[in-house]
Amino acid sequence: MSADAAVTTGRDIFLISNSVDELGGVTTWSHQMARMLTERGHHVHVLGICDTDTPADLGTNLPYPTTTLHPGKVPSPFSPHGLKQRLKVSGYARNAQREAAIRGMKAKLDALFAAARPGAMIIVTQVWAMEFVRLADRKDIPLIGMSHESYEYSKDSSRFARVKKYYPEADRLLLLTQEDADLWILEKLNNVGFMPNPLPVWPEEPSKRETKTVACIGRLDDQKGIDMLLDAWAVAAPQAPGWTLKLYGKGEDEAELRAQCTRLGLDGSVEWMGQTSDVPGALRDSSVFVQSSRGEGFPLALLEAMAFAVPCAAFDCAPGVREIIRDGVDGLLAAPGNTAELARQLVRLTSNQELRDRMGEAARVNVARYSKETILEKWEELFALLER
Amino acid sequence: MISALSTPDVSVIVIVFNDAERLPRAVQSVLDQTLHGVEAVIVDDCSTDGSFEVAQRLAAQHPGRVRAFQLPENSKGCGEPRNRGIAEALGTYVMYLDSDDELELNACRNMVEAAERTGAELVSGLSTQIYIDTRNQREQPWYRWLYQRHQVLDDVAELPDLFVFDTLSTNMCYRRDFLLDNKLTFVKGLLYEDLLYSAQAYLAADRIALIPNQVYKWYMRQNVAKADKSITNRRDEIRNFSDRIEIHRRIDALLEEKGKTGLRRAKDLKFLKHDIPLYLREFPQHGPKWQHQFAELSREYLATIPYDVFDECQPVHRVCAYLLIKEDWANLLPAIDWLRNPRKTPMPLVERDGRIYFCAEHLDDEIGRRMLDVTEVGFQARSLSESMPRTQLLSWVPQDGNSVKVTARTVNPLGLIPAGAKLSGRLEVKARRKGLQTFTFPVTSFTHQGDYVEWESTLDISRTVRPLGLVDTIWDVWLNLEVDKKKTRPPLSVDQLDLDGDFAARPRLTRLLADRLEPEVSRPGHLAFQLTAVGPAASKGRGLLFDLMSSPAGAPLKRSAKRVLKAGRDLNAADSKVRWYHRAMTRMPVKKGLVVFESHLGKQYSDSPRAIYEEMRRRGLPIHAVWSYEGKKPPKGFPKPGKDVEVVERWSWPYLYALARAEYWIDNQGYPLALRKRPETTYIQTWHGSALKRMGFDMAEYRMQPRHKQDEYQQALDRFDHFVVRTEHDVDTLVRAYRLPESKVLRVGYPRNDALVAARREEVLTGKRERGPLAKELGIDPARTIVLYAPTFREKAPELVLDPVAFAERFGENTTLLVRSHYMQRLAVPRTLKGKVVDVTDYPDITPLLGLADALVTDYSSVMFDYALLDRPMVFYAYDYEEYAGAARGTYFDLREAAPGPFVETQEQLFDAIEEVREGADAYAEKRRGFAARFGEYDEGRAAAQIVDRFFGPAAGTQQKGEQA
Repeated sequence: MSADAAVTTGRDIFLISNSVDELGGVTTWSHQMARMLTERGHHVHVLGICDTDTPADLGTNLPYPTTTLHPGKVPSPFSPHGLKQRLKVSGYARNAQREAAIRGMKAKLDALFAAARPGAMIIVTQVWAMEFVRLADRKDIPLIGMSHESYEYSKDSSRFARVKKYYPEADRLLLLTQEDADLWILEKLNNVGFMPNPLPVWPEEPSKRETKTVACIGRLDDQKGIDMLLDAWAVAAPQAPGWTLKLYGKGEDEAELRAQCTRLGLDGSVEWMGQTSDVPGALRDSSVFVQSSRGEGFPLALLEAMAFAVPCAAFDCAPGVREIIRDGVDGLLAAPGNTAELARQLVRLTSNQELRDRMGEAARVNVARYSKETILEKWEELFALLER
Repeated sequence: MISALSTPDVSVIVIVFNDAERLPRAVQSVLDQTLHGVEAVIVDDCSTDGSFEVAQRLAAQHPGRVRAFQLPENSKGCGEPRNRGIAEALGTYVMYLDSDDELELNACRNMVEAAERTGAELVSGLSTQIYIDTRNQREQPWYRWLYQRHQVLDDVAELPDLFVFDTLSTNMCYRRDFLLDNKLTFVKGLLYEDLLYSAQAYLAADRIALIPNQVYKWYMRQNVAKADKSITNRRDEIRNFSDRIEIHRRIDALLEEKGKTGLRRAKDLKFLKHDIPLYLREFPQHGPKWQHQFAELSREYLATIPYDVFDECQPVHRVCAYLLIKEDWANLLPAIDWLRNPRKTPMPLVERDGRIYFCAEHLDDEIGRRMLDVTEVGFQARSLSESMPRTQLLSWVPQDGNSVKVTARTVNPLGLIPAGAKLSGRLEVKARRKGLQTFTFPVTSFTHQGDYVEWESTLDISRTVRPLGLVDTIWDVWLNLEVDKKKTRPPLSVDQLDLDGDFAARPRLTRLLADRLEPEVSRPGHLAFQLTAVGPAASKGRGLLFDLMSSPAGAPLKRSAKRVLKAGRDLNAADSKVRWYHRAMTRMPVKKGLVVFESHLGKQYSDSPRAIYEEMRRRGLPIHAVWSYEGKKPPKGFPKPGKDVEVVERWSWPYLYALARAEYWIDNQGYPLALRKRPETTYIQTWHGSALKRMGFDMAEYRMQPRHKQDEYQQALDRFDHFVVRTEHDVDTLVRAYRLPESKVLRVGYPRNDALVAARREEVLTGKRERGPLAKELGIDPARTIVLYAPTFREKAPELVLDPVAFAERFGENTTLLVRSHYMQRLAVPRTLKGKVVDVTDYPDITPLLGLADALVTDYSSVMFDYALLDRPMVFYAYDYEEYAGAARGTYFDLREAAPGPFVETQEQLFDAIEEVREGADAYAEKRRGFAARFGEYDEGRAAAQIVDRFFGPAAGTQQKGEQA
């Protein structure tokens, strides 16, 4: 190993996303990572390409600097089709603005990268941001690209083509699981690795699993598949007397879902809890956790429930899910969309205290492999590998 | 970044022999590795072209990263230079690279990362063959199926395919101390040293990691002149084969020593399926000396492989290897023809005791019978037009530079060509490129010789064949043989015949392009002609033309030709058709009385759409009917096109035009999802069966789709204006699963079942069961009991679940079994069982078969609901019910409880149940009537009539439509 690769702490780390504070999973993840890396002694700088319409509240006094490279919006490119569009002057003006924005960002990035000390790392969390970062002169600083969703989920989106176009330039592209990484490798990307998301907090006080409550935490929208959960619960509830399904969350489909609940005659065993700010409280109050999503990446909800020693039943809808839950060991999986099977798994858990306890305790032990410390260690190993 | 290395992570050993030109590229791929700690160790095998000087220069340019060594004398192989490289290497890990190939840029980083993460001593990745002489540099991954995902093996026996197939040494990364500790070196003086080396390494490693990443770029040529073939690709030297055998023997000794019998077996199997066929394909082209040596060597080695390994091979490989052992040339040549042309019927074949054998020889021996049994191929189920009978050229006599006289003989497969048959035929000489010219020659003097038909023909090549001269260089020859109006079209196998002479050619364009037609043997071993330029004028003209086409001036010509071809393809592409359908066709006025029918996506003329159509015809309604079919031509049974009925191909322009303008759509499954239905058109969906398995939105995969996809599907379903049901069960299952409103439900019963209800009434009334003409058509004695076996389609064909021979043995005297399966899973019914077991898979419509059968054997097929209407016994042969019902899809009810007949799981139980039925026991009569009432409550025999009454009226088709939903 060379001398200048010996840096293990105190690296300059640039964490670059579409925006510094856009509401959503990637922002939560970035700031959690920034905090963890800072605590470990690295010098983190969180960067965003531009502003967002839906900012999240990040609080004040972040222990690391944040910078938005292009305050405002970056105009989308104008590519005219046909004569009529070709004559549109505003389109060309927009392209000029875009060019100027890109030049400005490049200048800022060039300066930041030039000032970085040896051992620096660049982490680009989203492929849209990569379109701009790739234009900067990053010297020899290794660049790590990320895709925070499952391969299948990318496949249905424009991101699929853009990942294939821009991420080959990265020194490493990180997916959430080995299975997703392998699928991208089969798309002829040869720089792919994987990195699981860390568990944000380690609860000192887990659930005692004393209530007859099945909890579900998630937006009330199509992706979370609450309609399928209600169908499953309609089968399971009669076999789980005394149990209540508590739904935490709000969303566009709430009215429709409540109507479905009534139609299925479940009003007596389902409680609509609304959005909660006290997730630990909700988990401590439950004995079983259920997830019925149509698509997931590396679901934090499952990680948290398991850390609270609450056994989970879930649709096996993504590699991240089967990676987190070991079916039959620390939780139960059902084939995606098979509501009868999900119902069966719920009945297995609700009807058997011994099984709940065994799986719940196993879950808490096993999920420790995603603890902050373990995941940070993996990052350090990756940084070292990229310097060899 | 790094100039001097103490211990590099990886040493890449680059071997070179007379390849000064490409060596720098290979070394650069090492220097460009994303992992920095990598050195290149160049070993020159005593080249004479200055390769070593190039290597030394590279070493001087990259001190500490490139080192160069040279062997004192040329070793004629790859092993010695690599051994030297190992001795010189300093890295923790070692990889091999040939001077004409490259490493993928992330190869070392991925290999080292995997090795360190898993602790493997050996990491193997994907090698990609890149054909540099093809357009777009065609890439072919090397055994991709082994490299689908990251894997760790603690013993290579966990993945025998790896041991057996991936026998390269270049796509692997070895820990150097592992190689040293195990004293692994390449063997000297033998070809295929990689094979032995990789076997030794696999067996020595305590842990092996596989990564799906591409690591190695293996540059190859598709078309190689013999002299240029890389050493191991030259299969025409017998040393090539003898070395291969020697290597195999050494690996066998190693496996023996380690007690790895499973691996030995896997390797033997691969030897039979891959190695032997590889050489056999080229066997006919070799001289007798090579052939003899080859046979000697392979016989000796094959003797070490037990016969039960042969049993696991496909019949073609088994037969080839066995005939090779027996040195039976006469039968081996047809077997090789079969190997090269799997669709052929290579021999007349022999039938004995219900089994089919490849040839009549060797059958007195038990092993011979085992090896030559080809029953499972199903030759016996092929009609003459489905067989491609091997036709062997016997003589080739050029006449005068213009024509040639040939004699040949065509196999008579299992006597399909009867002795007195009327035989006629022509020889067809056809340009290989599609859509060009064909010329034919009469075939004269057929002689029927029992197992063969011999014939002759004179091909007047020069005067008859007039090539264009430009795009028709290759001409194939086919025999068009007609036997009592049945046709077959085999090519002509040349085997070892010498094709001498060539023929003057007169291209239509100009003789400046080509002037001779030369006979040649095509890749699969058939007679063909090649257009060539021999004379000075033609050679020059052809040369000029090719120069022009490959010059910059030719590029625009080629481009515009391509553009014209592409425009044609685009116009006929599905989405362009859909666009025209929506933008233009559906804006035309609706044509009154135009009704489009379709059954099972055009696969059949059958089911309820047919029943409705025939009811309309009976009433003489003035409709214009259009029937759609799937495939190139209408399958059996479709109506003849006429004044008031058209038959159109599904997805063709006339099909779309008819759908766009129809007043009614009537089908039982669904018109293409992409096609919108205009509001003026009424869609009557008759559906094709009540449901046992979950359907529509009751299926998990539809439930899991995101909303926009579900909406799309719903839109296609919402095209239905009326949905025919035969029971409230349909309403609870299908109607709900497709989310159709109550107002669309048509409770009239299935039109297809009117015939069954009528048959039942007739039977009750007369107390007699009428056989009708169908029994005769199928060649069944009407006095026999008829059992129909109609299983549902399975994705994965199971092993034979019903042995026709065993059935015939037990019931052959008085009972006939009709078998209706999927064409993919067709039972091979031996000819000797004629009249006892009959394959009715091809019969277009199942309803008449139901009417004919005295009992039904099924599993989960919806025919159970229809057959119940006849009130005849049913047996449920559900040997995989758990698997079927337990799969993600699930069922609407438990068939085990509801089944109105015995539920059996083995053939033995099935036969006993059939026995009981034969004896007249009917313990399930009451349950069956309940079942019929539950699932057929609206099937009262007037379904077609009610539908036609409602929508088309008693006679006139111009009546107002029924209410729109």
